[in-house]
Amino acid sequence: MEAPSNPPPPARRNKFVVGAGIVVLTLCGLVAWAMGRPGSTSFFYTPTEVMALGVDAPQGEYRVNGKVLPDTVEGDPDGLTTTFEIHDGATEMRVTTDSPLPDAFWTAMANDSSEVEIVARGRYSDGIFTASQVLAKCPSKFKAKVAAGG
Amino acid sequence: MISLAGFGRPSLLAALVFATFALIACGWGATAKKPNLAAAGRRALAVCAVFVSLAALSLVTALYAHDFSLEYVASYSSRSLSRPYTLSALWGGMEGSLLFWTLLLTIFSTVAIFKARVRKGTVVDRAAAILAGIAVFFISLLVFPANPFRMLAGIPSDGTGLNPLLQSPGMMIHPPLLYTGFVAFSIPFAFAMSALVERRLDEDWFTHTRRWTLFAWSALSIGIVLGGAWAYTELGWGGYWAWDPVENASFLPWLTATAYLHSVVIQEKRRMFKAWNISLILMTYLLAVFGTFLTRSGILSSIHTFTEGPIGKWFLPFLAAMLISGITLMVMRADALRSENRFDSLLSRESAFLANNVLFLAAAFAILWGTIYPIIAEVVSGVRLSVGPPFFNSVFIPIGLAILALTGIGPLIAWRRMDPGALGRIIKAPLIAAGVVTTGLGLSGVRSTGALIAFGACAFTLIAVGGEFVRGSRIYRRRERASWGSALRKTLARNRRRYGGYIVHLGVALIVIGFAGSAFKTERNEQLSKGESMKVGAYTLTYESLQTASTPEKEIAQATLRVHKGDKDLGTMAPQRNLHTAQGQFQSEVAIRTTPIEDLYVVVTAFDPDGDASVRAFVNPLTWWIWAGAFVMAIGMSVLLTGPIAQPVTATSVARQPAEPVAVGS
Repeated sequence: MEAPSNPPPPARRNKFVVGAGIVVLTLCGLVAWAMGRPGSTSFFYTPTEVMALGVDAPQGEYRVNGKVLPDTVEGDPDGLTTTFEIHDGATEMRVTTDSPLPDAFWTAMANDSSEVEIVARGRYSDGIFTASQVLAKCPSKFKAKVAAGG
Repeated sequence: MISLAGFGRPSLLAALVFATFALIACGWGATAKKPNLAAAGRRALAVCAVFVSLAALSLVTALYAHDFSLEYVASYSSRSLSRPYTLSALWGGMEGSLLFWTLLLTIFSTVAIFKARVRKGTVVDRAAAILAGIAVFFISLLVFPANPFRMLAGIPSDGTGLNPLLQSPGMMIHPPLLYTGFVAFSIPFAFAMSALVERRLDEDWFTHTRRWTLFAWSALSIGIVLGGAWAYTELGWGGYWAWDPVENASFLPWLTATAYLHSVVIQEKRRMFKAWNISLILMTYLLAVFGTFLTRSGILSSIHTFTEGPIGKWFLPFLAAMLISGITLMVMRADALRSENRFDSLLSRESAFLANNVLFLAAAFAILWGTIYPIIAEVVSGVRLSVGPPFFNSVFIPIGLAILALTGIGPLIAWRRMDPGALGRIIKAPLIAAGVVTTGLGLSGVRSTGALIAFGACAFTLIAVGGEFVRGSRIYRRRERASWGSALRKTLARNRRRYGGYIVHLGVALIVIGFAGSAFKTERNEQLSKGESMKVGAYTLTYESLQTASTPEKEIAQATLRVHKGDKDLGTMAPQRNLHTAQGQFQSEVAIRTTPIEDLYVVVTAFDPDGDASVRAFVNPLTWWIWAGAFVMAIGMSVLLTGPIAQPVTATSVARQPAEPVAVGS
């Protein structure tokens, strides 16, 4: 660092610039690499968008949010797989998951409410969205995290 | 109890008037050199604190009196809510938590300003004006968009109650500690900005706010750990940290504050890094307010967030104003921010601190990027996306490991310049320990590279920092023939700041052991009928029975699971799945069997009508060490906080051997 009165010698300043440059470049490289890791970013879609994308849907997992249709909820005999439909007002989409569903989901089903909004993370193929994780967006005042899965 | 809710809003209005007066009087008084006017302003700040306290008190009485004519009381409490949790309803919702924030702000400001009165000059008055300005902003929020005293048209007979997730001991202390941390950073921030305006950039501003900085940092650290502990014991997903925007919001100011705590030592010892320190405290405070903005505005649809509140549009201009005025001030005062010394050598304590700062800031920027990237992407290209844990782990683990290594090496390096040979001698034992641990674990079948490096770095740091204690105590042992115990106590007492810091470093290394353990976690999900068993890790869980009970608050369903490890019977665990009647909300209560080696973590995610239980079980290795490490950190913090703050300051400390406990530098 420089003394109060003298301007810094050019060699010192150059060293500083080079050092800072290396640090910034390394950091950018690290961030860019990390952004490309699988699962780092996942897209959010509505059921309508997923249907519209069809085979053009992105590779890998992404998220879909919509409201659950209460009458469509059914569990499989093995007890771990649940299937239900979600909608965004325009399109309905079938979701299946074998990960545990959040408490808020069951709360809404028990109260016979159509209000529960979920975010499902997974892949879409052949008309069904297979979710590896389902989170609830609860309509209550404090939106505490109600996580389930992964 | 009688509800004093009627006093709430008038008190807030009065507080707003006094805060505005304090802002004008202190600001004008400092500028025009009118000490009497400034003194009146300082007293107005104290009166403002009294009125905000009265407002908070009236909300508390309304909560305890079940005064459901207030929308806030009806939304966040109920008759069946137990007494302690009724108090925590004060910070359970947005309006109440902002009131609580403002309460802390005005009280801390008053204490800081009045305790600082002995010092000369107008720095204190200017700081008082800045703090009053912040208070005006927060009280305005409470008066206009986030009024906690809003009345309901019809009075309900009972309230909705507090979210059951928040009814946990962790949630009694986690939010107040986080807020304490966030708010207490206002004090060093205000003094730094004031010193900048007044061109009083000697070491005064930060030595006098040092205890506040440490206090804020300690509260924030413990608050973050308690938040993790709450997530772990309440949320039932087997983890403690999900890189949720709200978690990041508390972690970001912690990172910059930790950088600041270290780099301020260089300014103290060597009068370098002045501009840097001002930027760090500015960043820390902005990030603390930004964190509040993120969590309260709903700009990120974090599932964690308070309702999409109307206050987001208030925060952005406030943040922008602070950022712009902070940077403008720094540019105007660039001449006064020059360093008085320069680096003597690359191998010196100064450069170790510089490396520490670079790493902490790199971590902060990477995490900030991941946190706000969804906003940028949506604004720029209209794509909605989220950034998940893989990103944050990928950026933070390498940086975190480098920080951990520095935690061990840094304290060994002398100020100004060090002979590489001397460093080699000191570093030998820690390096051997790291090598032994890494090879040993590698040979015994540990395959995760990240975890191997982490365990090696922990061994390095523990031995390096432990060695400092041994070297320090050895001197007393030789000189005074004292026992190890009393020599250690003397070492600590002689230089609390230095050894308190080392204890914090030891705690950090222990915490990282716990983080590294999560690389080996296992999870099983199974549906069990009574009498059936499942295996997770080395454990076998057998579902024995289901008990049900009901209380005024909830209907309890509890599964009893017998735990075997091999043939050994370890007793039973009893996870619950309860229906909270006031909210009509299901809530799973986790059962955890914790040991230093591993936690067995069991949740029932659903009971079907015949009593079959969907069981989710995890084995989480080494998680215990996180809480143990946090406890050690807390001991270090209390050593630091109760120690002397002012240290003999020498512009050019002499180079020293790190083993010398009474040296000037530390």
